[in-house]
Amino acid sequence: MYIHSSSFDLQGERKSMYKQSENSFFKRGEKTSPISVILVTSGSRGNKLLFRYPFQRVADCTSSLTTKQRSPYALNTTGDVLEDPDGDSREQTPLTDQQLVAGFSDIILATILATKSDMCGKKFELKIDNVRFVGHPTLLQHPHTIQVSKTDPSPKREMPTMILFSVVFALRANADPSVISCMHNLSRRIAIALQHEERRCQYLTREAKLMLAVQDEVTNMTETDGSPQSPFRQILPKCKLARDLKEAYDSLCTTGVVRLHINNWLEVSFCLPHKIHRVGGNHVPPEALERSLKAIRPYHALLLLDSEKALLAQLPLDCSPALVRLIKTCSAVKNLQQLAQDADLNLLQIFQIAAHLVYWGKAIIVYPLCENNVYMLSPHANISLYSPLAEAFGQQFPGHDLPSMLAKFSLPLSLSEFRNPLDASVQEAQLIQMVVWMLQRRLLIQLHTYVCLLVPPSEEEPGLLRDEELPLVARVGGRSLSTPSALSFGSPTSSDDMTLTSPSMDNSSAELLPGGDSPLNRRMTETLLASLTEHERQVILNIPAAQSPEDLRMFARLLHYFRGHHHLEEIMYNENMRRSQLKTLFDKFRSVLVVTNHEDPVISLFQSPLE
Amino acid sequence: GSPGSSFRGRCSVPETAMGKKLIGCPVCIEHKKYSRNALLFNLGLVCDARTKTCALEPIVKKLSGYLTTLELESGFISNEESKQKLLPIMSTLLEELNATGACTLPIDESNTINLKLIEQRRDPLIVQEYDVPVFTQCKDHFIKSQWDLTTQQILAYIDGFRHIQKISAEADVELNLVRIAVQNLLYYGVVTLVSIFQYSNVYCTTPTVQSLIDDRSIQEECLNYVTKKGQKRACLRDVFQLYCGLTPGTTVRDLCSRYSQQLQRVDERRLIQYGLMKALIRRLQKYPVKVTRDERSRPPRLYTGCHSYDEICCKTGMSYKELDERLENDPNIIVCWK
Repeated sequence: MYIHSSSFDLQGERKSMYKQSENSFFKRGEKTSPISVILVTSGSRGNKLLFRYPFQRVADCTSSLTTKQRSPYALNTTGDVLEDPDGDSREQTPLTDQQLVAGFSDIILATILATKSDMCGKKFELKIDNVRFVGHPTLLQHPHTIQVSKTDPSPKREMPTMILFSVVFALRANADPSVISCMHNLSRRIAIALQHEERRCQYLTREAKLMLAVQDEVTNMTETDGSPQSPFRQILPKCKLARDLKEAYDSLCTTGVVRLHINNWLEVSFCLPHKIHRVGGNHVPPEALERSLKAIRPYHALLLLDSEKALLAQLPLDCSPALVRLIKTCSAVKNLQQLAQDADLNLLQIFQIAAHLVYWGKAIIVYPLCENNVYMLSPHANISLYSPLAEAFGQQFPGHDLPSMLAKFSLPLSLSEFRNPLDASVQEAQLIQMVVWMLQRRLLIQLHTYVCLLVPPSEEEPGLLRDEELPLVARVGGRSLSTPSALSFGSPTSSDDMTLTSPSMDNSSAELLPGGDSPLNRRMTETLLASLTEHERQVILNIPAAQSPEDLRMFARLLHYFRGHHHLEEIMYNENMRRSQLKTLFDKFRSVLVVTNHEDPVISLFQSPLE
Repeated sequence: GSPGSSFRGRCSVPETAMGKKLIGCPVCIEHKKYSRNALLFNLGLVCDARTKTCALEPIVKKLSGYLTTLELESGFISNEESKQKLLPIMSTLLEELNATGACTLPIDESNTINLKLIEQRRDPLIVQEYDVPVFTQCKDHFIKSQWDLTTQQILAYIDGFRHIQKISAEADVELNLVRIAVQNLLYYGVVTLVSIFQYSNVYCTTPTVQSLIDDRSIQEECLNYVTKKGQKRACLRDVFQLYCGLTPGTTVRDLCSRYSQQLQRVDERRLIQYGLMKALIRRLQKYPVKVTRDERSRPPRLYTGCHSYDEICCKTGMSYKELDERLENDPNIIVCWK
């Protein structure tokens, strides 16, 4: 019989075909897509495989099996399998992902994937050679209730009952742990929906009955007609659940965005960040994404990747009105704080919704567009003449070509330099649109200025900073600048062209100190400088600019920013200062400061891939 | 539970609820001499659920193969007496694998099983002819005789400045062989790749440059690496200023003239080399793109924005200067830096 022979004959077949050389450089298939989706149940009728997709024609399966009947331990005389000295075999022909799972018959899958009830409610993971199965077995009813029902004479209790079920995804064995985790998450979500629908109207039992009925029918037909067919092909048009599972699989393999309506009632939505967040051919690991999202500041802006219209059309009918308001009010020139005011939401909500949009690949975080923003060509930008981006650009902006535009950003260029002041304002608007277009497609990176305090070494001790001189941040105890809840908001004061700077922080010295050279001020300055070494202090005090108490005080106040981790715009925002003020200060103290420009590592995640 | 017959020869890794992982490879040997006509056994390893266990799977498979052979040859497992030896074998296996990653299991006078954990590494990038391999540690650290002949032949030419094409020419080894040898070295982390050095090159800093300030060990390593031989160690400020002096539009030559004081104790070539190896700086490459052309002329093959100057010069044998002159006079060609 078909099942029995498969389990025996595949031994030799599989052993030789499935083993891989450890140093193989051969890449196979798409690493973030599942190979197969399988629905199994366990109940009074035993373990059953209800549905699997993709399915292969039974004919293909059996024919390949019957040709090779040999013991797995027989010496290889045909020479079609290469073996290296260690006895590892190398396969001749690479197997497709389909063949990897196709080798597992329905019965075998049902046995191994339908677990016992004590493994329900937890992650299930099983790896066999090159395939990894992951699922979330879910209990439908307490096992004891079945015994109770046996004593119940009512007829419907005698029907076979399902105890548990599991939606299992088969992946390639070397799938990234974060991908495995995501697949498990999806399996769990579907399970929750199915469990709910089962309790409400026995949805799963009904679908299972249909599936099993078709399977029985097809098996009977095969025995009488002798023509093998796949029962799953017949199941698809009859069972909504089967179609849902197929859709989940197809979506995961393509867009990475899954939206199902279980029983046309419960929505299950899910996205695979690995498919959505791809920059330069690599996926962005979700942990890195989350870390970046936690580091967003109120002075950042949200840049939508789709048009407002397109985005709103994708939202479900019962979505949060806050989300809609945010999408309608957001703009590349507005920072998140302004967005909060304009959309009449509090900052925390804005952060959460923004993070949500970013996670789903609908928006990225940028610094709000303004005159002084400096952009440069991203090292990962595709500048090929024939790229689809170039074509799209040409369609969007007729008369312009992408490579020429990109060439302009070969050297860092500020927005104000990019715009030609002599052009008519229509042209100007289009240039801004081009920059937005390029930012959305990760073609440009923004450069920020970072400052570091490095005092010329004294004569006696040249070389490294000694132990007591490191690290400045730890000694000064920089204020916590990251969490939104730590900030208070007053009314913003506008200083920089299109960008609004923030109100000052709770304990910002700008508010506390009166002007002038009062003893309080001098004391404050001394305290701030106390965290430096004697040598550093001496050098700084000897700078001509330090003779001005105002300048020295400002310098001392900003000291903790001079470790190269806070860019100019951040200092401006936190300290409520103008760009010109800061630049002048840097210039005055340039003998102890080193300045450099590079992208902001917090949001550069959205512009460049990670290792 | 006992493995079903369908699991012969398959290595399986289930995750149990107790926070552990079990790696096994069930074996079934059918023969009339056994009660029930078959012998089923499975030697598995139990690990913490969070451990990365890919490297252990080949070991489990090999063990299963060895035990099978032993059983077929001398009934090692089915024989009650020899079966007792399994216990000390298993405890040796556990101890030695955990201690050194390798173990030697003497079975009897004629049989010994040797096992070793082999670290799984990522596939390396493809090595191009214009890439420059540089040793990640001191060259003398590596014992020459352990490498294959090709690698031994080219080792002397890997100096962090010669690119693949040059190594091939000077060592008189075929280009592809050099490529493969270097790729192998790359796989084991013996070398890393940087770009060709020229004084006309342009670099810029990356956010990682701050690690020079934050990380004491990188500071030490860097200052030792970049100081000119025979000179007192360069100071951090000078070196940091030099790296920050690298900006788009600035060539290394420009840097040398602007920061001559800082360069007194610093070797600029090693400065660049270290910066690239640790990703403190990155190279800005030039990519010519032919944006307009008459319909009669052929479509551009190299000037498409996909090929850098490094690549074009390597492939065509032109020097940078020659390529520059050729392209400067062509109004249809623009150049992108990235």
